[in-house]
Amino acid sequence: MVERDSPLGPLRRPGRHGHSRGAPGVRLAEVTPAAICEAAAWPGAEAALAEAIGATTGLGLDATPGAGARSAEAAAFGIGPGRFLVTGRHDGLVAALAAAVPADTGTVTDLSHGRTVMRIAGPRAEWVLGKLFAIDFAAHAFAVGAGRATAHHDIAAQIQRSAGDAFDVCVFRSFARAFWAGLCAAAEEVGYEVL
Amino acid sequence: MSPRRAAAGGLVDRDRPVRFTFDGRPYTGFAGDTLASALLASGVTLCGRSFKYHRPRGVFAAGLDEPNALVTVLRGAVREPNVPATQIEIHPGLRVESQNRYPSLAYDVGAVNQLGGPLLAAGFYYKTFMGPVVGPLRGTRFWMLCEKAIRRAAGLGRAGREPDPARYERMNAFCDVLVVGAGPAGLEAAEAAAKAGKRVILAETEPAAGGSALWSGETIGGTPAARWAQERAARLAAMDNVRLLTRTTVWGYYDNNVLAALERVGDHGPAAAPGEPRHRHWTVRAGRVVLATGALERPLVFPGNDRPGVMLAGAAERYAVQYGVLPAARLAVFTNNDGAYRAAAALARAGAEVAAIVDTRSTLSDAARALAAETGAELLSGHAVVATAGRRALSGITVQAFEAAGGRLSGPRRAIAVDGLAVSGGWSPALHLASQAGAAPVWDETRQAFLPPQPSGRGWLAAGAVLGTAGTAEALAEGRMAGRRAAGQRAARSRVPAVAAPALDPHPAEVIAIPAPGKAFVDLQHDVTVEDIRLAHREGFVAAEHVKRYTTLGMATDQGKTSNVPGLAVLAAARGKPLGALGTTRFRPPYAPVSLGALAAERYGHLRPERLTPMHDWHVDNGARMEDAGLWKRPMIYGQPGETVAQAYVREAGRVRAAVGIIDVSTLGKIAVKGPDAAAFLDRVYTNTFSTLPVGKARYGLMLREDGLAMDDGTTWRLGQDDFLMTTTTANAGKVMQHLEYLLDVAWPDMKVHLTSVTDQWAGAALAGPQSRAVLAACVTGTAVDNETLPFMGIVRGAIDGAPVTICRLSFSGERAYEVYCGAGHGLAVWEALMEAGAAHGIVPYGLEALGALRIEKGHVTGAEIDGRTTARDLHLDWMLSKKKPFVGAAMMDREGLTGADRHRLVGVVALDGRPLGGGAHIVERGTAEALGESIGHITACCYSPALQRHIGLALVRGGKARHGSRAHVSDPLRGRFGPVEIVSHHFFDPEGSRMYG
Amino acid sequence: MLIPCPYCGPRDLAEYTYQGDATRARPDPATAGQAAWNAYVYERANPAGPHREHWQHAGGCRAHLVVTRDTVSHAVLAVAPARAGEPS
Repeated sequence: MVERDSPLGPLRRPGRHGHSRGAPGVRLAEVTPAAICEAAAWPGAEAALAEAIGATTGLGLDATPGAGARSAEAAAFGIGPGRFLVTGRHDGLVAALAAAVPADTGTVTDLSHGRTVMRIAGPRAEWVLGKLFAIDFAAHAFAVGAGRATAHHDIAAQIQRSAGDAFDVCVFRSFARAFWAGLCAAAEEVGYEVL
Repeated sequence: MSPRRAAAGGLVDRDRPVRFTFDGRPYTGFAGDTLASALLASGVTLCGRSFKYHRPRGVFAAGLDEPNALVTVLRGAVREPNVPATQIEIHPGLRVESQNRYPSLAYDVGAVNQLGGPLLAAGFYYKTFMGPVVGPLRGTRFWMLCEKAIRRAAGLGRAGREPDPARYERMNAFCDVLVVGAGPAGLEAAEAAAKAGKRVILAETEPAAGGSALWSGETIGGTPAARWAQERAARLAAMDNVRLLTRTTVWGYYDNNVLAALERVGDHGPAAAPGEPRHRHWTVRAGRVVLATGALERPLVFPGNDRPGVMLAGAAERYAVQYGVLPAARLAVFTNNDGAYRAAAALARAGAEVAAIVDTRSTLSDAARALAAETGAELLSGHAVVATAGRRALSGITVQAFEAAGGRLSGPRRAIAVDGLAVSGGWSPALHLASQAGAAPVWDETRQAFLPPQPSGRGWLAAGAVLGTAGTAEALAEGRMAGRRAAGQRAARSRVPAVAAPALDPHPAEVIAIPAPGKAFVDLQHDVTVEDIRLAHREGFVAAEHVKRYTTLGMATDQGKTSNVPGLAVLAAARGKPLGALGTTRFRPPYAPVSLGALAAERYGHLRPERLTPMHDWHVDNGARMEDAGLWKRPMIYGQPGETVAQAYVREAGRVRAAVGIIDVSTLGKIAVKGPDAAAFLDRVYTNTFSTLPVGKARYGLMLREDGLAMDDGTTWRLGQDDFLMTTTTANAGKVMQHLEYLLDVAWPDMKVHLTSVTDQWAGAALAGPQSRAVLAACVTGTAVDNETLPFMGIVRGAIDGAPVTICRLSFSGERAYEVYCGAGHGLAVWEALMEAGAAHGIVPYGLEALGALRIEKGHVTGAEIDGRTTARDLHLDWMLSKKKPFVGAAMMDREGLTGADRHRLVGVVALDGRPLGGGAHIVERGTAEALGESIGHITACCYSPALQRHIGLALVRGGKARHGSRAHVSDPLRGRFGPVEIVSHHFFDPEGSRMYG
Repeated sequence: MLIPCPYCGPRDLAEYTYQGDATRARPDPATAGQAAWNAYVYERANPAGPHREHWQHAGGCRAHLVVTRDTVSHAVLAVAPARAGEPS
């Protein structure tokens, strides 16, 4: 099996960049998991789908808008009515989930190559993301594990708060470089480190 | 010591001198000075020349309402024109130029415009330059002749031509309460809301919070007001739930409490820190908004009221108290209200000599008289200033007895020698944001001001001077109440700090123009005089909005800040109506100028993000010239040294026909269509049937719009019983997705179909040419690729270089061809493996130009032909229109007008003169290069055909097929191309398709 | 301007795509005549005041919404997912 390439190519330059005084305001990393898929429920089967995702990933997930959960192995969050983005560390997840979702519950579509996930972490993560997205990143408005579907101009993004000061931003693979470049530019002011 | 710096006082840091240059001359001020205060301290009174008449002008205000002292700031090679000197914080290295003067500020050639005064009266441009050409010196032709000279003579600063290297950013912010203005009312409101636990943003235009507290000389809670403000601001800034934004002007108030603000992050220092923007544009979405925007002082209208040395009284007070600067050594005050007495006292305390206080009112309050006595000034109540003297600086004023009620001057005129005149015509609430939010201002006769109406709903609240409130104690109480209400608390009155201030009468006398002869300005920035407004009225302009446009009153950066009410007062007097009956102009964003850089922010250079395929770097490394296809970057050609574009694509297309070529098709739109109703859904959205398509097969499909015109085409692959992969054209991927989503959400909500964009999941490479099968056979494992296993429109799965691939045999080029799809992250590896396997067969990568030539030779349509005006029949795709089932567009496609024999239909054209055709060129039946004939259609795409060795094209031509074999002409006057063509079938090459199926 | 998406909460207008008049219903192809299709495709009332419109939250959850909006004041009076039928 060949390795999956990163779309960032030469744009990913590990190390310290931007404002260099003090600790970096944010750390940026590509964290695309091995398995990414979209699971969608038929109307009325949202809870059944959430349950199937839970059974496959071990995540406690409910079907309320934007709800999500994370573990060391997997993550999932709502991205639209009856739709979830589900990711996992092991590439068998998509097939396992597809098997766990019966035809009368919904469908599972593999996006493991089609999406790129970038993590922005650190004390200034909310500030930097505020330059790119018109959504409220404050902790009380955006809980750990919860998800949001939004867009930066033409770039659709699905965002999960992965920790108190960290967010995972999922974009279409073809936009990965454009978005990464924008993210780095936005982070220059606070100084950033690419992992 | 600078000539006009007071011996002590002010909030400037006298231990930190700052050097800067103005018109090339070095000056020194102190940290905390604005350019205006530093120039005044240095005795500079002349700051610019006026817009039309080039009259000398000096500093008139102290805040962003400054109409006169507009200057150009030089940053490297970049010029930023029209910046008020009052808004520039001096800093080391600051370089500033004055504006609208030639050759120099002191000796300005344009000043002769003053002599021809009436020539430039209201409506000058309309009268002289607009309308029909009736003679050599009239009309738009004359304008074209004169424009350059007029634009040079009349106007403000000159913009630079260099690109601005500064960085601009935008920021999205959310808060429960946005407080606009950090004066006493705003500070109190912010604290009340913050103490209630709300997320608060407090925005202040000035470098420091405090507003009038910085110069009022009052005490709040026993503390000098300026210190009270500093302490209060520091306390707020330390709270986790408060963001204090200084140097931030809220300039726009939009629907649903979305407000726009500009933060000047880097203008006050010599150099930005790495990554720090010069300006940051804030979009604030607020739960509630508290407007504590204060009030702007109005000038009085009298002849010569624009001379350098004439200044708003509040501004003069502010220079004395906040900056420790005396605008003049010996000055007079001219007022119609009590506020100016506090200014007079402050100026006297700072060391200025106040020669006279001229008041249009004959009865005065005790507090005003007391303050006047303190200054030692001669008090001339019931008087008016009727003239000023001096050329580039004020040397004196003339006063005369004045009866305000009748508006009559009487008695002897008397001259008083002064070098400064502080004027006050009352205060206008800065209600611009409330007006933008939709509230029509209401005239208040007592306060002689437009006030914001009582707000309703979950919009804004207001506090302080913006409500017409004059006193600081009242402003504090209103601020606290507004803050509490914004936080959703009961609006109970509570104790606010006590304020020690003189008991002045808060109400000014009626606003009027002093009826003395001479140029009296209502709009200093645009040189609009009392006479201009009267002239506009005589010519029939009676509405405030019309007069504004005809005279330019209140335009540009002023936006009516100082000029609005005085102008309306003159108009009201001319109409013989009370001012309140006139109403005011609606204020629109921006309240203050906004840098275009901040609005563009990160969308600089390229406006939209690039989309790259997984093989992008390979293309670039192998000589591809990249071309924009929507957001995508795609190879146009892979040029070899010395090759032209035409040579490259002819070579590439020739190799495809002769051997094999490979092209990146990852950009095609790909939509996963899944669910038990997927096949039925496709039957409804495509004109042809997909429910009969076997698993493991693909079919070409055509979609129409609801109006019956063609929308998009592509192949759809049945990967499983309920699992389809739809492909769309690169250009229409997003549009098709939205079309399908709309149908499922709105028209057929009961259908069980899920759509997911998988465009980016799959990398795609099309392998085309007689040797394509051999190349596949050499590298694919896990499946055979022979004609039986993989016939035309068949699908197989296998692996290349260990990566799973799905291969579909379909052809756009007319050759035997395959589309090889794999996970995008494997795209480069699979591409390289195909190149390696193809090397023995002479494989070449080909770009869009060759692809275009190949498809034109085959007569295949793309977006150039599916252009939103063509039907399936126009494109000879009627064989795809099922008669057995309804589909989107079926009901409308056979309407009258879409079916006639004179429709423009797809044909081929061949150049008979052997010269290239041009896309978009017209086809004409008759005519010559000079006399253009009637167009019967146009060329949609053209190329040099390597297979036919002729210049060919596709065209949409009236009558279509009926013209096959006939001759016409290509007519392309824009590109100077005229020549004979033959109209032929659009199937130029291999019409039977033998090369594709074998 | 903000439109309150039932799934995502209030979001900027820029995230939405206008998808047309929501007062019309797609005719049944089995029964509708040419006049009904003509009305569906072309005829619009363009009222000044409350109006029902389809907006897709294309830059968010991608759902189509029925937005009842006052075309004079821009006030959004009600929002519901298009799949749910009538706005709440």
